Parts: sequence; structure tokens; C-alpha cells
Amino acid sequence: MKARFILSTAIAAVMILSACKKDKTPAQPADPGAFKVEVSGKIVTVKNLPADTIVTVTAQGQPIGTGHYSFFSLETNQWIANSDSATTKWDLAFAGSTIRVNNTTGGPGMGGAFVQIANFADITSVSPDSAFAVDNHPVSYAIPKGSGKGWYNYDGVNVLLTPLAGRTLIIRTASGKYAKVEILNFYKGGVTLATTASDADKTYLQRYFTFRYTFQSNGSKTF
Amino acid sequence: MQKIITGTVLFIYCFAASAQDSTKVIDSTFYKALNEVVVTATRTERKLGNVAVPVTIISQKQIQQAGTLRLRDILQETTGLFITSGFGAGVQMQGLSADYTMILIDGEPLVGRTAGVLDINRIAVGNIKKIEIVKGPSSSLYGSEAMAGVINIITDHTRKKQLSAGLRYGFGNPDLGWAAPVGSNTFKQSDFNITAGTYFKKLSVKYMGNALYNDAITYRPNSQARFPQPVWRFTNQLQLAYNFSSDTKLDMTVRNGYDYIKKELAVANNGVISNSYGREINNDWNINTSLSHRFNSKVNSTLRLYSTIFDGSEKLSFKEKPDSIYYDGFRQRFYRAENQTDISFKKMNLTVGAGYIIDEARSTRYDNSSNYKQNRIAYGFLQHEWVPNEKISVIAGLRYDDNRLFAAAFSPKLAVRYSVSKRINVNASIGRGFKAPDFRQLYLNFTNISAGGYSVFGSIDAVKVITALQQRGEIAELTSDFSKLSTLTPEYSTGINAGATILAAKNLSFKINAFRNDIDGLIEVRQVATRTNGTQIYSYINVKKAYTQGGEIEANWSPIKFITVKGGYQILFTADKEELKRIKGGKESVRDASNISRTLLRSEYVGLPNRSKHMANLKLTYENEQQFFATARAIYRSKWAVSNTSGNTVYDVKDEFGSAFVLINVSAGKELKNGIRLQAGMDNIFNYQDAGYLPNLPGRIMYASIQYNFIHKQ
Repeated sequence: MKARFILSTAIAAVMILSACKKDKTPAQPADPGAFKVEVSGKIVTVKNLPADTIVTVTAQGQPIGTGHYSFFSLETNQWIANSDSATTKWDLAFAGSTIRVNNTTGGPGMGGAFVQIANFADITSVSPDSAFAVDNHPVSYAIPKGSGKGWYNYDGVNVLLTPLAGRTLIIRTASGKYAKVEILNFYKGGVTLATTASDADKTYLQRYFTFRYTFQSNGSKTF
Repeated sequence: MQKIITGTVLFIYCFAASAQDSTKVIDSTFYKALNEVVVTATRTERKLGNVAVPVTIISQKQIQQAGTLRLRDILQETTGLFITSGFGAGVQMQGLSADYTMILIDGEPLVGRTAGVLDINRIAVGNIKKIEIVKGPSSSLYGSEAMAGVINIITDHTRKKQLSAGLRYGFGNPDLGWAAPVGSNTFKQSDFNITAGTYFKKLSVKYMGNALYNDAITYRPNSQARFPQPVWRFTNQLQLAYNFSSDTKLDMTVRNGYDYIKKELAVANNGVISNSYGREINNDWNINTSLSHRFNSKVNSTLRLYSTIFDGSEKLSFKEKPDSIYYDGFRQRFYRAENQTDISFKKMNLTVGAGYIIDEARSTRYDNSSNYKQNRIAYGFLQHEWVPNEKISVIAGLRYDDNRLFAAAFSPKLAVRYSVSKRINVNASIGRGFKAPDFRQLYLNFTNISAGGYSVFGSIDAVKVITALQQRGEIAELTSDFSKLSTLTPEYSTGINAGATILAAKNLSFKINAFRNDIDGLIEVRQVATRTNGTQIYSYINVKKAYTQGGEIEANWSPIKFITVKGGYQILFTADKEELKRIKGGKESVRDASNISRTLLRSEYVGLPNRSKHMANLKLTYENEQQFFATARAIYRSKWAVSNTSGNTVYDVKDEFGSAFVLINVSAGKELKNGIRLQAGMDNIFNYQDAGYLPNLPGRIMYASIQYNFIHKQ
């Protein structure tokens, strides 16, 4: 299972790398939908990280994604190449509504996570009795999937996913340090679509993560 | 909240007290209203002024003047009733969902609910004498479902020779927001009715027939879906009465409602639209026989036999997949035998009753679709009315329902009325209501393959099915709710109502009522397991606690001769008690404009979704002695939460709401001496539309009708 995950992401990595290089040449700084990392004091905000975004829809209405995860390092504030999927360079991997940590079925790191019901700003430390969960792909995840269970709420009638307010992801990084993460939005440009948005927009503008985090580089549990 | 109500009561009381001195003549119409006979509140004939629970009466005249075709049309103009959309039009009362409003015809329940909703568009209003609405839990008399209240449609049993027929045609041109092809953007509606009655010696016969056709408009560009859907509705009703003697009477009513709804659907799935077409048919039979006998001036007894069968089916073919056919069928049969005996003593009245119900249903969505699932209920009820003097009456009632399928239900009720003066009547009541789990909650076995393969199992089979799946290694995970799965119990509510009827001046009266309903063990759909392929399994659990509370006020004013002004208003507050606890403990958050989470404030919580905090209506009527009338009626509804988009699991002010709106309907008519009655009107004159959240509101409709009485006084 582990080998297959690493292999598939490695193959996909080649595709994304070539795609990325092309995108970066004509710089469009005003584009609110562009991938961006902003650092403001202790808080880092990542905008529009694509996560298995939809590339096409079959004639039967089945959406087809890019088929790969996007890896991100909370330590270096960088989008990590898929070729490094089998390393400890990344801390979180994103694909659709799945967020994975670097450990066990995901990678060789010491990653772990849990969802704390509290506002990001109110969390000043990781409580000493916290139990960090790991992924058991594809059965269960440290950051649970499902509407209302982990970090998001899914409205099946309007086909919209909204990150739950007041849910903070407490992350143990690949190197065993700690970070707190708040997922802010799931749509390109960081604005949840209106319920009346077109089906095409709901399909193609989803799976773009905007999130913020604070990483404690000294290894302590306080932020 | 309580302050507001107390304030209002005091204000009206003072107003009434000051008005009292200036007017010595008691208005006759007000007293006439109090003397109107109601049966629904106590299941015996009582004067409205002597009833201790909140009752609204809608008269035949009111129904006619409003140009009503279906039950929905008139109920949406009634104070405190919220007409819900989705699975037809349901009636939300005192903030409780449509599932908890019982709908009766001549005291016998209608069945055939879809997802808990009984579509009141199924009911034509021909041959209706009046509609009685009792608010607050009434299970002490009516058993399951009567948790929010009861709507009783009382047909006209008058023994007379009559023959009348009427035609009505209406049309509208809603603004679709896009250029529809010519001819497809007009909404058309035609209605035909006939009533005939006669009698021979001891037998009287009456027939009512109604046919309605609602055409549709093209709703969505580049799609064959039409909206509202084209509907044909037919109602036939035959009533027979035989008077053996002045003390013994046999009544029999056979009613059939048949609806044919043409389905042209376009379902979008990730941008790909698949078109399907077909039909939905609802066929509803009701046969009601009652034999009543007066033993002497004190004892009256009635035996009732009632059978009803509801058959609903939907069949769809797919344009893109011609060889696959979707079929969904549901059939419910409900049989009831009941005796009710009323005994009057000097200062008290006693009502005792007992009955037996066989309720059964089958559905293509249950595990064995050819088998009927059955529940049998034996019940008894007792009501004791004590009238020590003219000023006071006290009613105590209780009912016991013994269900074969789930726990028995015990429903007590206590109501008190006190006449403070000739002008002021106060009343208060407390009662318990219940709703038994329905067949769907017990037996559903449904896997939605087109929407990802999730399953919903009824509570009776859920544990069995999931355990079997687990043994086959198909279950990845059981949720914490799995352990809560058990035989469902009825949902209960305790309702308190307190109100007053006040004659403030000879031409001005008020009716006020405050209510609170505490609901326990509400049944919710919860995820109980996950399959190894990631799909979810849901079932039903008694988990939720909620409350609804509020107040309503109605005023009736005749400023000058021929003119009456009627107004009504309801304020409503609701909450899920668990959610409220979390919010009060600072455990719920909401996102600000920049997506940052902050703690949700109590004042931002809106409670249960799909409820308007404010609802109001205003009716102006002119009616002269030459049988001419004109009315203008306004209906207001404040915004209601429809979708949870603010990034939490509770409904708050940042969620998506249906917009507040005002509808104005006008109509005028004249009854000529030659038996012809003409009427014309316009519904929704400002053409208000909200295709998203009010899908059944077709925009402005103009109509004209003619009714001819073949047998009329010259």
C-alpha cells in the first residue's frame, strides 16, 4: 500500500513539475486565484494550493482529477515537489477533501495530527495529554474525513464544502515538531461559492486550499 | 420574550378595560363568533367561546372569497401557519415541522406522507363547510402526529336539494429572467367543480366533483424541465346519510383524490445534465362510515369505521439511457374502528372512546417491497369536562396508545378557561403530544447509487444488516452512534398555551396566545457505519431535543359599515437544545469575511432552519348588502434559514436565507339574483418569485370564475 502511494505520487510528480514551470513564467501578481505563501509574523497563510483539482468530467458526469496529492512543508513554507513524496521534506499532503500526515501509510516521517475544537487564535500550546493520530489509508485518517466529523461541512444538496469554523488542526510534523493549522477555504480565490453558483464553477473551482498556520521551530509545544 | 408577551397582554387588557366604559352595546358579530360551534378541540360540539385551547375557524365564505382552489391557498393566509416546500406543501405550526401536523377530513386522518410531509395541494376545497385548526399538542384526543396541532376539514353535510357548477380559468406570465420561447412562458390553470345534492324521505345524497389542471412554464434555459410541473388533479366525493329516526343516523362518505403529475426532470451532476421524463401518480381513497345514536338526552354514542388507502408511484425513463427505468412505489393502508360515547351530567361532560387501528405500508424502498409492514394500535381515551359555572370550564383528558411495533404512548392534557368578564376570556392548557416512528424510519432499505452509494437503513433492520456486512468484512468502521441504535420510541413534546380573547370595543376584538413546545427524542438520521469502500451507512436514532416558543395575536376591526380589517402576527423562537448548550459554552464558531474563525455569539444563532421569526397577514374586506365583495390580502414572511454555509454545524445569521417577502392577493365577486356568482382576482399582484426557495410560487396569476346555482331562490 505504502509503496503504491509513493510510486503513484512519483509518477504524478513529473507531470506537475513540468506544469508548474510553465505557469511561473508569465507572472500575474493580481490574480486572486494564484498559489501564494504570505508570512506575517508567526502566522503563515497559504493561498490556493490545488489538491487533485478537476481536469475534466466524463460523459456520465464523473469528475476526473489530476490524480495526485500536493505536498506542503510547514517547516520551510514550501510546496514540495511530488518527487519528494517518499521523504520527510513534507508535513501535509492534500487531495480533494483528504489531508494526510507524513507517517505510516503516508511517508517515512514522524507525522501525526488531531482536530481540536477551538479557535486558532485561542490555542497557545499543545496540551500535554494530547493523543496524535496517524493515517490508516484508505480506511481512516488522523484528520477525519466526512461532513461535520473533521475539518469541513459538506452540503450535499448544494454540492458545497465549507471548512468548519473553530476547528484547528494540531499537527506533528515529519520531523516531530508542532504546528497549528486552520483551513480557511476550499475554493479558488478563497471565497466559498454561492449556493446558486453554476455546476461548472462548483466542479472546477473546488479543491483549492487556503489555510494558515503557526509552526514552532524550537520543538516545544507552545505557539 | 416573556416580557414581550406579558407587555402585549397588559397593553391589550388596559385598552380593553378603557374601551369598556365607552361602549355599552355588545357587538353581535363578536358574540356570533364566540357562539360558533367547533368540534375539533374536544371532539364534541362546543361553542368557540367555551373552548379552552387555541382554535381558528376558517369559514366557507372566507375560502370562497379568497378564490381558494386547494387547501394550501387558504392556509397560507392563516396566522401562524408556515407552508413548507419540498415533498409537496406541508404545514408548519407553532414552529414544529410539517411531520407533526395532523390533517383530518371530518375527523378522520389522511395518510400518505412523503418524507413526513402530507402535501396539502392534494386536497380540493369544494363542499367544505369550514376548516378548524387547533394549535398545540392534541394527542390526548387524536393520538400520533397531533403534536403541533390538528387541521380538521369539515365537509358540508347539509340536507338540501342543490345543483351547482363552476368554472375557473387563470393564467400568469412570470418573469423568468431569460427569453423563453413564445408560448412556453405562460402559466395556465383551469378548474371545474360540480356539487349536487338531494334527499328522499330519510335518505340524503350529495356528490362533489372537482378537476384541476395546472399547466407549467419552461423554467430553466436549454432544458426540458418545466416548473411548476404540469398537474392534473381530480377529486370525487359522495356522501350518503340515512336518518333512521331523530336519534339514530348513519353517515357514509367515499372520497377519491387522484393526481397525475407529469415529470420532466433535468438533473445536473457535475455540470452534465441528464434528462428524465415520466409521471407521478397519487391515488387516495377514503371511506368513512359512522353510526350515531342518542340513547337519551344525556348519552350519545358514535361508532366509526374508516378505511383509507394511499397509492403513490413515480416512474421515470432516461433520455440518455433509454433502456433503464426508475420506479418508486409506495402504498399505505389504514383501517380504524372506533367508538366514542359522550355523557353529560349536571355540571360535567364525559367523553370516553376506544379504537383499534391497523396501519400498513409497502414500498420499493423497504427491504422486501412486496410485503406489507404492519403496525397495530389499540387505544382508549377519556375526557372529562367540568363546568362549575358559566365562567369556568376545566377539561382533563388522556389517551393511551398501545403500539405493536414500539413503545406505548401516554398523552395527558389539561385545559382551563375563565371568563374574566363578558368581554374577556382567558385560557391556558398543557398537554403532551407524540408522533410514532413511521414505516420509513423503521424499514427503509435504500442505497443511492447515483449519489455515491450511501445507504439508509430503518432502525429495525439496521443492526441486523450492518452485523451481516461486518461478518462479510465489508464494514470499515462503526461510528459512536452505532451503539445508540435500538428500537425507535415515539417522539414526544410538551406544549403549553396561554391566551385570551378580548372584545376591546364593539367593533374591535383581539385574540392572543403564547406557546412553548419542548420536544424530546426527535428522530434524526445519523451515520452509524462506514463501508470498506468508504460509503456511509445511515440510520435513525431518537437523539435530538428542541424547543419552539412564541406568541401570536389576531385582531378583527370593523371601522365602518361593510368594511372589516383582520390582521394576524406570529413571532417564533426555536433552538436545538444541544446546539444551544454548545453555543452558550463558547464551543461553536463562525468565520468572518476574511475566513478567520471566531466564537459564535448566542444572538447570532437562529435555531432550527426553515422557520421565519416573523409572519404576518392583513386582510381588508368590503362586503355590502347587494352580495358584492372585494378583498385585498397581504401575507408577510421574514427570512428563513435554508442552507448552512457559514462553516459550522449550526444555523446562524451568516448562513444562507430565503428572502423575506410580501404577497398581495386581491379578489372581488358578486352574486346575482339569477343564481350566477361571478368572481375575479389576482394572486401575487407584484409578481414575487423565488425559484430557488419558493419553487411552488408561480408568480402573478389572474383568474376569473363563474358559478351557477341551478336551484336558486328567485
